[in-house]
Amino acid sequence: MTDLAAAFEVPWSDYRSDLLDALWRTLSYTAVSFLGAVLLGLAVALLRLSRAWPARAVAAVYTELFKNIPLLAIIFLSYFGLASAGIRLDVFTAGCLSLVVFYAAYLSEIFRSAISGVHTGQTEAGQALGLGRAGIFGQIILPQAVRQALPGTNTMLVDLLKSTSLLVTVSAAELMSEGRLITSSTFRALEVYLVISAIYFALCYPLSQLLLLLERKVRAGVPLSPWRRRRLRAARALLAQDTAPDRASAADVKAGAV
Amino acid sequence: MTESLATARSTPRALPEAVVRIEGLRKSFDGRLVLDDVHLTIGRGRIVSVIGQSGGGKTTLMRCVNLLEQPEHGTIEVAGEVVHQDGRTVCRDLPRLRRTVGMVFQRFNLFPHLTAVENVVLAQRRAGVGESEALERAVALLRRVGVAHRALALPDQLSGGEQQRVAIARALALKPELLLFDEPTSSLDPEATREVLSVMRELAADGMTMMLVTHELPFAREVSDHVVFVDGGRIVEEGIPEDVLGAPAQPRTREFLASYGSPS
Repeated sequence: MTDLAAAFEVPWSDYRSDLLDALWRTLSYTAVSFLGAVLLGLAVALLRLSRAWPARAVAAVYTELFKNIPLLAIIFLSYFGLASAGIRLDVFTAGCLSLVVFYAAYLSEIFRSAISGVHTGQTEAGQALGLGRAGIFGQIILPQAVRQALPGTNTMLVDLLKSTSLLVTVSAAELMSEGRLITSSTFRALEVYLVISAIYFALCYPLSQLLLLLERKVRAGVPLSPWRRRRLRAARALLAQDTAPDRASAADVKAGAV
Repeated sequence: MTESLATARSTPRALPEAVVRIEGLRKSFDGRLVLDDVHLTIGRGRIVSVIGQSGGGKTTLMRCVNLLEQPEHGTIEVAGEVVHQDGRTVCRDLPRLRRTVGMVFQRFNLFPHLTAVENVVLAQRRAGVGESEALERAVALLRRVGVAHRALALPDQLSGGEQQRVAIARALALKPELLLFDEPTSSLDPEATREVLSVMRELAADGMTMMLVTHELPFAREVSDHVVFVDGGRIVEEGIPEDVLGAPAQPRTREFLASYGSPS
């Protein structure tokens, strides 16, 4: 009992603002890297689905390369390796770059299978309705692919947040680095890393629960965008009107079909 | 039913104008000839049924009309405009051509991420129809095909018959000059088949120009002006339904009809 009480002796109030800075840094790494990884991952997925074989080859090489190198090695390469080749990136840029290229490889695989999983009949239905390539992709394929890709993508987001802790190796001033600093001045490794772990848990658990909720809503077809909600409200209002065929719109349909 | 789903005979014409004219059509898949020297004309307000065995080329023929398939040879004319000639799409505005031709698929192909009413709205908005007009037309069409009460349901919450009726409403939303039905009842149970056929019967009564690929021979006989029997990529026999389905001249047609247990 005395051992456990003795473990909690770090003057945490002294570190509050440093920890908040570190928390902000962790969240910044996560947000910027995830956004970059999604965009790059989507681009790589589209290249892999391209009809031109060189595009497919480039994308395949990229994916296989970064899936089979440890993230830590990528971090060292982009921070120390590039620097020795004369390209000096600040730690934030190098950190984000590493996370982007690593997670884009995994996300591209998730996106590729989601996009190619949309039935070809969907494309044909879009074509038959006179939609162009952009319309078919943006309004028919992508929304269905997002639904399919959401669970895997969400897992990757939480994983990316946890992986920012690897940036401790380049002193990126995020939570793990801050933990190491506090430990070096207090020599209370157990207490400090328990608190740091608790902060990661407090970030990741609610985030993953929130993403699960989002997945369920999307799967149930709940309209998330304001314009879709507006459209469905308007439809509901129209449907609530007298269910007997209304003359004006019937005439409209009749005239229009000529 | 006082209001009609569609009218096509609003302006009387001296000559029935051709909505579709196909000449010398040839198409093969991986060197296997699936359509060979096919000629077909569909006049405005006409209903043409294409019958034949699976793999005989009838669906491919239909898919050539809105160029979901690209033939290698021959001419396709839709609504007075040559759209395809000898392996080249000469239609400048393919989306516009496709908007004049509505299509209903065997497997419905509704957009599963959108409710029924949104399925009917989507293409209208892309074609430049205003939001409120598109919604009103969608709701009116869903009422006509009898699924307005399911307008806010997602496709996988709908029965097969309901899905196919939504698909018909979606195809009608762009006010097409011609509707293509690719085996519209082949994935449906008898009850749903009756629902869908009754909607199609109303469309036929309203004078909609239709081309249908079907195995529903009694229905084809009832609504069609013209029946085409396709076998081995060629039109073996064609004519009025009473002749082709009632008293076929070709042995191959008789054989086909016999396999369906149809009195010939």
